[in-house]
Amino acid sequence: MTAVAEQRPSAGFSTAARLRGWLRNPWGKPRFLVVVTWAYIVWSIVPVLIAVQFSFNATRSRTVWDSFSTRWYWGDPVDSVWHDPTLRHALVQSFKLAGADVLIAVPLGVLLALGLARWRGRGSGVSNFIMLFPLVTPEIVMGVSLLLVFSELFTFIHTGTLAQILGHVTFSISFVVVIVRGRLFSIGRQYEEAAADLGASPFVALTRVLLPLLTPAIVASAAVVFAISADDFVISQWLSKGGETDTVPIRIYSATRAAPLPSVNAIATIMMVSTLIIVTLGFLTWRFFTRGERRAGKAAEDIGGAFNLT
Amino acid sequence: MARGEIELSKLTKQFADVTAVDAIDLHVPAGEFFSLLGPSGCGKTTTLRMIAGFEQPTSGEILLDGADVAYTPPHHRSVNTVFQNYALFPHLNVYDNIAFGLRRAKRPKNEIKERVGQALELVQLSGYERRKSSQLSGGQQQRVALARALVLNPAVLLLDEPLGALDAKLRKALQIELKSLQQEVGITFLYVTHDQEEALTMSDRLAVMNGGHIEQVGAPQDVYEDPETLFVADFLGVSNLMEARVVSTGTDACRVAVDGYELETRGTDRDVIGAAKIVIRPERIELEEHGAPSGPNRVPGMVERLVYVGSAVQVIVRAATGETLQALVQNKGGGGPGFEQGTPVQLHLPADALRVLPSGIGDEPSIKGKESDEDEAEEAEEETAAAT
Repeated sequence: MTAVAEQRPSAGFSTAARLRGWLRNPWGKPRFLVVVTWAYIVWSIVPVLIAVQFSFNATRSRTVWDSFSTRWYWGDPVDSVWHDPTLRHALVQSFKLAGADVLIAVPLGVLLALGLARWRGRGSGVSNFIMLFPLVTPEIVMGVSLLLVFSELFTFIHTGTLAQILGHVTFSISFVVVIVRGRLFSIGRQYEEAAADLGASPFVALTRVLLPLLTPAIVASAAVVFAISADDFVISQWLSKGGETDTVPIRIYSATRAAPLPSVNAIATIMMVSTLIIVTLGFLTWRFFTRGERRAGKAAEDIGGAFNLT
Repeated sequence: MARGEIELSKLTKQFADVTAVDAIDLHVPAGEFFSLLGPSGCGKTTTLRMIAGFEQPTSGEILLDGADVAYTPPHHRSVNTVFQNYALFPHLNVYDNIAFGLRRAKRPKNEIKERVGQALELVQLSGYERRKSSQLSGGQQQRVALARALVLNPAVLLLDEPLGALDAKLRKALQIELKSLQQEVGITFLYVTHDQEEALTMSDRLAVMNGGHIEQVGAPQDVYEDPETLFVADFLGVSNLMEARVVSTGTDACRVAVDGYELETRGTDRDVIGAAKIVIRPERIELEEHGAPSGPNRVPGMVERLVYVGSAVQVIVRAATGETLQALVQNKGGGGPGFEQGTPVQLHLPADALRVLPSGIGDEPSIKGKESDEDEAEEAEEETAAAT
């Protein structure tokens, strides 16, 4: 029978050989990679899910599950995120820093990227390289040096919210520059030239042509900046003056060193969910603004990659 | 039309250590379809970009209707450009793309609407107002780019290889369309291309550029039939070159000796004596059967190879003078040109098709530039573009 003759040769082999064939079949899906990927996803997400789960625990235990409750969010009159002033302040402080960081670092970063990308000649290469420094400098080094700057050089800036914002802007601006500059390179000069050709002054070319084209990158970098700022521990810690200027990560850190309650899990969950929402919003906005480009099957991936940074 | 006269005077552009455009002089009267033709890196695009205002000349003048605009920024020049890759704004639809320039000029709303409508009609794209450029085919994008530039009634329209990205058939159709469009609107078109056929088809006049210089300016027919330099002869189609020694010159006719054969050629007013080169176009060589009555300007040869190209057959002939010549025989059916590989033939090189060019001028035509896209000057252009 032809049906038998055409059967896959692996049918008769041992289980081990068949498994190997299943993993290595060059015409099939890259199954080995799929397995590795899923293993990684499970490995990285299970601890997070467990932490989230215990934020809803009804008892004071962070390890023994009792029953579902929102006690640690607002139910508990003393220790819930809502009622514990230190936790509440930490949450407010984290959002304050992340929001201020986005509002300052993104516009500045866009201008820097424009300047660096359009700057020809001597010094441009060096400054392009220096822009990457904050990305490779260990954060602790950055935190210590910023503290030194504020305690020795610019003594009118005291540790606290202002110093924290300046610190966050200093290191997050590089992300904006890198993302926006990538987009600028893929856009090229042609649209600016076309705008100038049609009578647009450089300023009009910037606002009417370049900025709309940069929107996806700007949104992406805003989401990235929010995420890394909300995430930040080291710089926030070095530049904090304690009390109300402690952020969520600092609060979580100190709480876990004392007697941790599930309220710590609750506040961490709130941070995670809000960051996720911001990044998702950013991603959807990016999708919206680049829908035409993707239909044309063009670039755009380079910006999509920006979201992997989060 | 009095608007749209271009005069370039000693125009020079240097990129780092490359001189992309070397002191060129050029006059284009108003309303002309003028082409800059040359291989990659010959400086034609740089010249265009200087006229558009994207590059600042190192020295020289650009007179537009008598006024020097060399230092006027691009948004204050009454020239518009059709870019090689169209550069349609991807975030705007067709209507907004075309209206962009009118809005910058602060025209009233109803005027914008009317003029955009007219421009779309001109390029036969009415009804496409709401499309995004990504929803258009290459040819349609090209038309939108054209409409976007023409809607502003520029004095000069600059076109930077606008058909380069299209396939051969569409390109042919658009060549004819562009030409009739130019006659319709009556403004000066300055057209940059590396495609000799395109330049010959469309231009009123053209300039052949090489290495930042202009080699020859003239009507397509003159430049093709009467190349002044070896480069021009070679760049505009296939040319047969032969080493020759000039016996006598005159404005009516010259006599040259090619390896023992004396040929009569067209006259020249150049002072060429001694070593020279003679050129002849493949389609002007007449092949006669071996043993046909001999006469002046006839050289025996042997068919080396036949190449069928569809509308014609290329016959490669080894002439008795030692040169390998290419002749083009029209394909009229009936089993080919009647010659086979290895048959002896007689070449008739009509005197009015032979032209003497002095050796040395435009020698060593950089044929490599025709193929490679990475000539130095072009590279420099791209570098600056990339660095921005």
